[in-house]
Amino acid sequence: MSNKKILIVEDDPDVRKGMHVRLQASSYDTFFATDAISGMAEARKHQPDLILLDLGLPGGDGFTVMERFKTNPHLAVIPIIIVSARTGHDNRVRAMKAGAKAFLEKPVDNAELLAVIRQALGQSTQTSDLSRE
Amino acid sequence: MKGKPLQVLLVEDSAGDARLLREMFSKEMPGSFVLTHVERMSDALRHLAKGGLDIVLLDMGLPDGHGLDTVRRAQAAAPGVPLIVLTGLDDEAAADQAMKEGAQDYLIKGQIENRALPRALRHAIERHRMQAETDLLRKQQLQLKDEFLSHVSHELRSPLTAIYQFVTILLDGLEGELNPTQREYLQISLKNIRQLKSMIDDLLEVTRLQAGKARIELQLTSIPDLVVDTVTSLQATAAAKGITLSSDITPLVTSAYADPTRVRQILIILLDNALKFTPANGVVKVRARVFDADPRFFLVEISDSGCGIQPEMIEQIFERLYQAPDTGQAGRKGLGLGLHICKELVTRQGGHIWARSEPGKGAILSFTLPIFSVAGLITPAFRIERSAENSIALVVTELGSESGWLSRGAAVESSHQVRDALRRCMHSELDVLLPKMGPAAGTEFFFIVAVTDTIGGEAITKPVGEKLAGCDQIQQTALTYSVSYRLLRSANRSANESMEDYVGRMAMKIQETVDEVISPRMVKNEQ
Repeated sequence: MSNKKILIVEDDPDVRKGMHVRLQASSYDTFFATDAISGMAEARKHQPDLILLDLGLPGGDGFTVMERFKTNPHLAVIPIIIVSARTGHDNRVRAMKAGAKAFLEKPVDNAELLAVIRQALGQSTQTSDLSRE
Repeated sequence: MKGKPLQVLLVEDSAGDARLLREMFSKEMPGSFVLTHVERMSDALRHLAKGGLDIVLLDMGLPDGHGLDTVRRAQAAAPGVPLIVLTGLDDEAAADQAMKEGAQDYLIKGQIENRALPRALRHAIERHRMQAETDLLRKQQLQLKDEFLSHVSHELRSPLTAIYQFVTILLDGLEGELNPTQREYLQISLKNIRQLKSMIDDLLEVTRLQAGKARIELQLTSIPDLVVDTVTSLQATAAAKGITLSSDITPLVTSAYADPTRVRQILIILLDNALKFTPANGVVKVRARVFDADPRFFLVEISDSGCGIQPEMIEQIFERLYQAPDTGQAGRKGLGLGLHICKELVTRQGGHIWARSEPGKGAILSFTLPIFSVAGLITPAFRIERSAENSIALVVTELGSESGWLSRGAAVESSHQVRDALRRCMHSELDVLLPKMGPAAGTEFFFIVAVTDTIGGEAITKPVGEKLAGCDQIQQTALTYSVSYRLLRSANRSANESMEDYVGRMAMKIQETVDEVISPRMVKNEQ
């Protein structure tokens, strides 16, 4: 079984590289885009299994990307996880409404990032346990 | 007075007084005003609502008004219009009060000197304008400051992320084995990264609290669980410093009415502080019990054997940016916002926080939180006298998800939206939305205690259903919901029953009904 492909849309080169090294170590294949427009182009070209999307992108923010994706049936099915420095309740709500599977705040804890990715890819063996506060 | 004519509203029920004033206006300000005269408060409020007025002259003794209340209602109807009250000879005290309520000036009928009227009007308008400007400026400044702090906090996160990523990549051995010294240095880096993150989070938190954007959701909270949790999570840190960290919890049979996330936040801040200011071989202890001085509250105390707090500082420590003067072994001070955040959070949950200390011998930080009681929650609604026909309905909304909640965040968000929607269906004074009760694995229950004067449960459940249908979160995430109600019989106070006993009895009935609704679900979950 080949590795899952993750598209990372992030304009900060260091953060991008950090994510790449971490994800590669967990056997994910990664490829990149540095802005909203190329992000959409890459997604169309490579059909990733999951997208890690920053919100504060040049050329249109992450929300724009999500809206556009929804209109394309091939892309609308790809799970999107927001990884953003723009924290705050309003952004979180907006992201969830736009269909994001999760909203993570930078800096993201490594374990949390990997767990959320696994879950969004349907690979998680544990169900969401909500009976614990 | 030059320029456009002044639109003046005169609210005066005495025809004689009104005529005198009209003559004064005509004599002293010919052609520069348009006077509208009404005799009742109700008419005045209509005119105020219509708008277009420059100033209001308001008699305090109107037939359908009531002294100060008149002033308040006029202010509420048109906050942008300056107000001058008209008062009788022996009523200056009332006039003074009116000015405290926001009136710009007062005129004593029968004692208005020549030329005093136009001057009074001019000044009132000018003063009001300046006040409005100052208020606006202050609001703008605060907003700018909040936006700036928010922006800065966000920008700091990106470089912090990169640093965190690469330090952890190295520490996790992804680029080869580390020798002990390399590991040690990287761990120091990681510790500082966490500190930096914590400072940024604090900064944002304080900003949000100031802007009123912090979310606090009161619900049944187990203090013992939270204490045990946080103490456990900090054991490693304590052990590293050679400090004994323990807890002493008197068995607490009831829950607190608080926000568990926030209580956890408070405990962590206070424990972090205690550990920071206590030297090796010291002791930090958390105690929790019912508050002796007021059994409606829980008391949580965190004591340490550290350097203590100077007596003159004991109250200032809760102010923003306060930093302990003697850092000594404490190391870095942080931003000094922790205790301020604690105070804001404790206060907003209805509790108090204070400190006691003997310099050199340690300190005790104490805070209280209200104990949950259904009786306490419903008392305000029940104090209102009602007719004998009334009954009490318990409106039950069950929210479920067939596929299970995707993430905790989504569950919390749905819960919040539903609560907001329910609140909009309620009479805020007569109905009570109970906090979350029972576990929430796959379903969540919301209960409204509603005082109805008809036996029509439909009258309540229908609007609730409609509001929920319009809820974004529910539409988007395919949640299911159902709304039903249960009527509580014999819901009226009997002749010789005290209010306290009555509320207590109702509270028990409500709790029983809630338990009846939840328990079948709980049994299912345990299977």
